Amino acid sequence: MTALPPQARTGSVQHVVEAELRPDDHRGSPLPTFAMIATRFMELRKRRGLMIALIAVNIGIPGVFLAIRLLAHAIAPHSYGPAGGYSVFSGLVVGILFGFGFIVAATLGCSAGAVDLTEGVFRHLVVTGRSRVALYLARIPAGLAIIVPLVAVGFTIVCSVCVFAAPAKLSYDGVNMPAGLSRSAFVSFAKSHPNQVYCDFPYRNLTSLGVPCGPNGNVGKITTPPGVTAPIPPSKAQFEATVVKIANQDYTDYSKNFRTPPLSLMVEAGMWVELEAILGFFVGLGLASLMGQRTVPVVLMIVLEVILTPLLTREVIPHMINGQRGLVGLAMNHIEPSALPHLSGLHGSGNGAGLLSESTTVAVCVIVGWLVVWTVLGAWRMATRDA
Amino acid sequence: MSSAVLEKVAGGADADGPWAVETHGLTKRFGESIAVNSVDLRIPRGCAFGYLGPNGAGKTTLIRVLLGLTRADAGTMSLLGYPVPRHRDLALARVGAIVDEPRFHGHLTGRQNLQILAAAREPAARGRISAALERVGLAHRADDRVSKYSMGMRQRLGVAACLLGDPQLLILDEPMNGLDPAGMHDMREMIHSLVAEGRTVVLSSHLLDEVERTCDAVAIVDRGKVIRQGPIAELLAGTSMEVEIDCSAPEAAQTLLVRENRGGRVTVREQGLAIALPTGTSHDAIAEMNRILVEGGISVYRLEVNQASLESWFLEVTSRLGSEE
Repeated sequence: MTALPPQARTGSVQHVVEAELRPDDHRGSPLPTFAMIATRFMELRKRRGLMIALIAVNIGIPGVFLAIRLLAHAIAPHSYGPAGGYSVFSGLVVGILFGFGFIVAATLGCSAGAVDLTEGVFRHLVVTGRSRVALYLARIPAGLAIIVPLVAVGFTIVCSVCVFAAPAKLSYDGVNMPAGLSRSAFVSFAKSHPNQVYCDFPYRNLTSLGVPCGPNGNVGKITTPPGVTAPIPPSKAQFEATVVKIANQDYTDYSKNFRTPPLSLMVEAGMWVELEAILGFFVGLGLASLMGQRTVPVVLMIVLEVILTPLLTREVIPHMINGQRGLVGLAMNHIEPSALPHLSGLHGSGNGAGLLSESTTVAVCVIVGWLVVWTVLGAWRMATRDA
Repeated sequence: MSSAVLEKVAGGADADGPWAVETHGLTKRFGESIAVNSVDLRIPRGCAFGYLGPNGAGKTTLIRVLLGLTRADAGTMSLLGYPVPRHRDLALARVGAIVDEPRFHGHLTGRQNLQILAAAREPAARGRISAALERVGLAHRADDRVSKYSMGMRQRLGVAACLLGDPQLLILDEPMNGLDPAGMHDMREMIHSLVAEGRTVVLSSHLLDEVERTCDAVAIVDRGKVIRQGPIAELLAGTSMEVEIDCSAPEAAQTLLVRENRGGRVTVREQGLAIALPTGTSHDAIAEMNRILVEGGISVYRLEVNQASLESWFLEVTSRLGSEE
């Protein structure tokens, strides 16, 4: 080793200087400064194409969809139902904001993780003497400061339209009826609308009364071909008893339907969609930093979200069952708000119905594990790679 | 990092550490090939130092190792008196560098790119952005996107980025690339002014003429090894000068001069002779050669004395090494 200046060897000056330097500057600290985060935020925000894609998916698609529904309902209210309501809300949250939100968040993460390398700026940053881990970690709050508000704005638009443009009554299997009825009130409604309940509500394992249903939920007359003995029509009491049985069967399903999405569901769904976007960002950031490029990680993330996750959450592979449980998509399925329809398209509603079994604790551990492992992998690679 | 404290550091190191860069046995391998081969380098403070070598000689790799962009496989090094990588953060606090071509985020303006780099430095660096842009002559284009910059403007922006840390040591890798003659002149002037301010500038280049005009001292690197280093004047001392003679009957002229044994190595060219002589050979000795040729019946059409340049010396040194191997 080259001999240091005498001050450095004795430590009399240099150590004092280091002690003075480090609290001011923290250049070797793994924690990024506010200025680093702010400039990284600026760098990402100025990527016009990326921002357009983020806004189009998180705000544009649901916004345009709702705008068209609002217009259509305003122009022809009898042909087109209200723009909002619970069913529209759940469809947009599960069908658009969740899945596409993950992909665009992953794209943002991949950009944040790889552009310094691909555009040759990383070496300029390393030459400043700043800790490479700090350079990496600065991307996390900067990226989150973009994706979290964007998802929140899109989600708020969906919530607002679904609440304020909701139908006046709940349409349950084509029957307009009040929402939020108790079981007894639901049965009372069934008794007072027996024809509609008999003809429109779903039921199972009930003896057919042989009464045909006409259009618009009207019970028709029993007709028989000539020469055939006509069946005895059910008595009023039999008909009412059947209707009450149908109502009791359907009450559980009815109770999961709302005229407007409840506040608690909106809060839960909002946090769930935000968590999915945050996950997408973290995994994209880590993967892109690990690979040192953007395109391939984006493709891999799309494959994970669109192909692998649906496949591996539906089919149980006996020798890979624990591997399947480690899939973050499955974990997110398990913590889905129970009042939302299942995002994998399986029967039943949210909260993991019909999925490979997994406890909530395991699901939470898997999600935290994915966040931590990908962050550590990305930071490690950025700290050790040639710049 | 407070400027006053850095001054203190630099001042202390200036007083007792004469070397801005010092390496011992520095080695970097890529698989079987050795890009930097046990390099011992000493770059004095306060000078412009040229790091010369043909393409693929390992110039950029050495710079990358020095700056911590890649790890060394063996050896030790220090920048501004601080051993690296142990005190990398302290050493690089006062180092500015361009490695390979200067590349920036094309979708951002020059000023915004500098803001990103300044944020990674001490808080005072942000206040130096405008001055740095002014100094490299980019102030009027600072708010244009870098994607619209020419190569020369990017080089200037790279130098501006180097200046953000108020560096004691600047390491510039091929800074003349992409510059037009006026740009090269400006860059040369800027390097001179930086050195005049007491900074050390390390210039890696294969443009020997530019290095000779810009630098005080050089190191020659070939196949990863430093083969010569020192002040240019010292290195050129004792090297040969060349006398070109256009004449009739070159073979006869060669025979005549060899027979008279006037010193130097005489070689025949298409239109005459080339005579390599030790530097410092007097004009009288050259006139004597002319007299011998004329009296021997040879017509001399042109006689030109070429002083040894860094380029000829470089070619001589590197070709000698090649022939030795």
